[in-house]
Amino acid sequence: MMAQLARTVKKRIISGDGGAWAYAFIAVALVVFALFTAYPVINAFIISFQEYKPLGSTYAGFDNYVHSFDDELFWKSIKNTIVYTLLTVPVSLVLSFGVAILILPLKKKLQTTFKAVYYLPAVASGVALSVVWLWIFDPLQTGILNQLLAFFGIGNLNWLGTSATSMFSLVLMAWLSSHGTSIIIYLAALIGIDNSYYEAAELDGASFSQKLRHIVIPFMKPTTLFLLVTGVIGSFQVFQNAYLMTGGGPDNATTMVGLLIFNNAFKYFEFGEASAQALILTLIIAIISFIQFKFLGNDVEY
Amino acid sequence: MVLTNKFRVFASVLALTVSLTAISACSSGNNGGSNSNAPATNDSGAATEEAKDTITALLPPVSANYQSNFDQMEADFNALYPNLTLQIEPASWEDITQKLDTQVNAGSPPDIAFIGSDGISKYVEQGMLMDITMAAIPEMIGDFDPVPLNYMKNGSGLYGFPAYMSIHALGGNKQFLEEAGIDWKSVQKNGWTYEEFREAIKKGVVSSGGTTSRYGFVFATSGVTAKDYLNILIKNAGMPAAFDKDLKYAYTSQNYLGVLKAVRELIDDGSMPKELSSVDAGKRWNMFLTGQTMITGKGLATFENSAKTNNKKIEAGDGAVEGSVPVNYVVLPVPTFGADPVASAAVDGYVTFRGKKEPTEEHKVNVAKAAYYLASGKIAATTNTELLVEQITDSGRTAAESLDVERDPDNAAASQRLQSIASPARPDIPAELGAEAIKLEDEVIIPKFQALLADEITPEDMFKVLKEAAVKAFGEDGVVTD
Amino acid sequence: MALFKQHTDHKSILYIRNGIIIVVLFAFALATLFPIYFMIISSFGDPIEAGAASYSLWPGKFTLASYKFFFDYSEHSYRWLINSFVVAACVTVSNVLFASLAGYAFSKIRFRGRSVLFAVLLCAMMIPYQVTQVPLYILIVNIFQMENTYTALIAPSLVTVYNIFLAKQFISSIPTEIIESAKVEGCSQWQIYAKIILPLSKTVMAVMAILTFMESWNTFFWPFLVTNTMDMQTIQVGLKNFRFANTTYFAPMMAGATISAVPMFILFFSLQKYFLEGVTVGAVKG
Repeated sequence: MMAQLARTVKKRIISGDGGAWAYAFIAVALVVFALFTAYPVINAFIISFQEYKPLGSTYAGFDNYVHSFDDELFWKSIKNTIVYTLLTVPVSLVLSFGVAILILPLKKKLQTTFKAVYYLPAVASGVALSVVWLWIFDPLQTGILNQLLAFFGIGNLNWLGTSATSMFSLVLMAWLSSHGTSIIIYLAALIGIDNSYYEAAELDGASFSQKLRHIVIPFMKPTTLFLLVTGVIGSFQVFQNAYLMTGGGPDNATTMVGLLIFNNAFKYFEFGEASAQALILTLIIAIISFIQFKFLGNDVEY
Repeated sequence: MVLTNKFRVFASVLALTVSLTAISACSSGNNGGSNSNAPATNDSGAATEEAKDTITALLPPVSANYQSNFDQMEADFNALYPNLTLQIEPASWEDITQKLDTQVNAGSPPDIAFIGSDGISKYVEQGMLMDITMAAIPEMIGDFDPVPLNYMKNGSGLYGFPAYMSIHALGGNKQFLEEAGIDWKSVQKNGWTYEEFREAIKKGVVSSGGTTSRYGFVFATSGVTAKDYLNILIKNAGMPAAFDKDLKYAYTSQNYLGVLKAVRELIDDGSMPKELSSVDAGKRWNMFLTGQTMITGKGLATFENSAKTNNKKIEAGDGAVEGSVPVNYVVLPVPTFGADPVASAAVDGYVTFRGKKEPTEEHKVNVAKAAYYLASGKIAATTNTELLVEQITDSGRTAAESLDVERDPDNAAASQRLQSIASPARPDIPAELGAEAIKLEDEVIIPKFQALLADEITPEDMFKVLKEAAVKAFGEDGVVTD
Repeated sequence: MALFKQHTDHKSILYIRNGIIIVVLFAFALATLFPIYFMIISSFGDPIEAGAASYSLWPGKFTLASYKFFFDYSEHSYRWLINSFVVAACVTVSNVLFASLAGYAFSKIRFRGRSVLFAVLLCAMMIPYQVTQVPLYILIVNIFQMENTYTALIAPSLVTVYNIFLAKQFISSIPTEIIESAKVEGCSQWQIYAKIILPLSKTVMAVMAILTFMESWNTFFWPFLVTNTMDMQTIQVGLKNFRFANTTYFAPMMAGATISAVPMFILFFSLQKYFLEGVTVGAVKG
């Protein structure tokens, strides 16, 4: 029965009379979405064509867009963001997948312990953690990382203070924190794989790596797609790290596009331009996500 | 069938859901009622005389005990003006600007917010400040010292009342200064030139075998604080403001390049750490208390208190900063670069905002009353005493007489001297020019100055970049050339 | 049988393999745990003022003074914790319910506009909140006048696109045949959802509950924007009051951060058993 189920590939979607029910099921989500997401987004879209003033905006045509495209800093911040995304998101995926796989064979008590241990950093508030990280990156000899370097006979680095190292410092911070969410999601997906698949494979004499390649990885596709898409979205909007740790400096080496939009919207009150930049950014993320769906989105066959 | 069992679990989850939702609905209802009038205050100017009015104020923890007095402040204000209610919203220093800016963008700011006077021009440009020139009666205006009051002006408008004027100076460790043979009393009285300063901090350095255990001078320059460092220096190089008297952009003068060169020299001398670009305010204060630097900046008057507190803890052997040594804090002026000494002054105060609707005259008067109430008399006296800053109102001085201040007499005298040469406000600089200069500072000066501190750009290159950007922004005729 | 060989015949291989795995996991855990470790040990220091807080790897001193200081600092300390709890609990429950419903519809039911609607939802998620924040603030505060209420804190995150997407991805791997056969047996869509999808998705729902609670609990900016009295603030907003001009009450801030992490840990442990046992499709089929 199960083996047959496992082998058959059928249409993934049930047909027929579901329509009305479907609308009922998504109704609440849609209302919440329309009010608290769509309405502000449409507003932002309108504002992107305006010279925004709280007491009365004026129509500005495509000025905000043109100005953004001409702005060197905008492109620099996009470049920074892409570098940051490329360095953090794939590493985070591989790390959390690896950890999730390694936790699986352990005894239940150990499993629980490690899950808790890896989940723990996600619990602490970002502000409190940034204080700790500032100390880790302390530029003088007394800093934690610099003490580590001194142990290997390397002179101290001005981690957050130079253009050469500041971006790497933020990436390092991302590598060593905040995988808890991805690990838990991967674990949930891994546990969802029915044992019968492994049983069937083992009957055929499949090795660990064959099981990994032919069962686990295909099964992880929807999860990986989810983590990849949301990871890229999150990374393109990253704001807090740069804001708290470097303020975008030195010399805009860590100015992410999220920080730039924030500065335009609030520091300079260029709300129209900020909205335009946000929409350009959205378009970029949408294209990237579309590509990801194209390559990973076709439903799993097993 | 296993299904039934599982369904029972779900049913109980659902029941919990419903009950929790119900609880939330109740609580939100209760709270909604009591505060529903709050956001509309800006629009609800009094229609008749002595009509009821509510004034909202967004206030940070100005001093350690400031926020704990909010209830008392509200009650006292209501006792003074029975028809008026003062409603205070607390906010932390770090977040107050972000909240205020969101509210301003949304067109519904509070009536009063405590911010730095340097932010006024940006809100004026948005049209969201409320001019209280006509609403403030002469007794209010006359109570304030003119220099700080001018900081609250922009063009012809007065946009609130100042709370205090804090001088950004330097702070020294008395023992280390004396060990280095520096006559700090004379420096307090007569100031010092850049050359004298450079030699002095060289003598303050203690190092052995390539590692420095004590620097001569450390200033917090990480992130945007870099601009504080640059600004206190250029004020003493003949450029007290971004524009000269003819409204030409001043930072294209050769004197500016001189300051940039000096910044590099002090680091290259080894008197300042080469990692200066990521030293933050906490770090340098730690370095000062633990004897890792002779002089620190920026120095605020209240640091004398912080040092004393730590000394007491060292004596008691309990809770002092780890590795700290007893420190006598000495107020020191900023060195001069061939120009008259000017003390950097930061004026913070109660700035008055307006909402979408044109505020009525009555509402303006009420807001002015509230701003004056907060900026003068007892509240100003206690807060400024706590911060060790000078009183800037007559009523504050009177109220402060009864409060005793424990202050080092030399420091007090030095502070007063600095107060007297505080850089004056420049309300004559038009808002658009001011905004353009701020943008130039944020987009060119700060990033390039960070690069200069990190030794990634030469002073000459930075100056060139700034000059080009300034000419682009203000035109060839709009900038100083010498 | 599972992904990993059980090595029932060679116990020693099993022990060595698991030993290596534990060492690897532990080493990586140390790196990620360090900031947390530091947060907790600093919270046992003295509640001294000054950004000059001394950093050390080992606690120089053990005192609960900071915890006392945290609760004494403001009469509202307890209130902040309760507010955070009420908000996070409501948001969590509503997300789990409505996101799983929507996730089921988007992954398994055919209806007009399905893919377009889902694409629109996803795109909206990509817009940086920096620009939607002001219109949202105008909506909640100026139009709905809900400032300083629980509704304002809860409503915008009643159900998030992130959770709908997560639910959709997980539910999509439930074999459609099960649903089809339930339909043949005469189950309505609601019954399918309640009797088949929910039990099979309890893992992802537990994950969703934990992540949503954590997200809501840690949110700072929105509660900060829409509250204007101390008694309506959440713990994250309250915590920020420990930071003053040039000084930070360092240890109490860390104590506050530690206290605020505790409820999430309790939640984690009470839900973690749901990820221990796999959901077996066979069991449902009975």
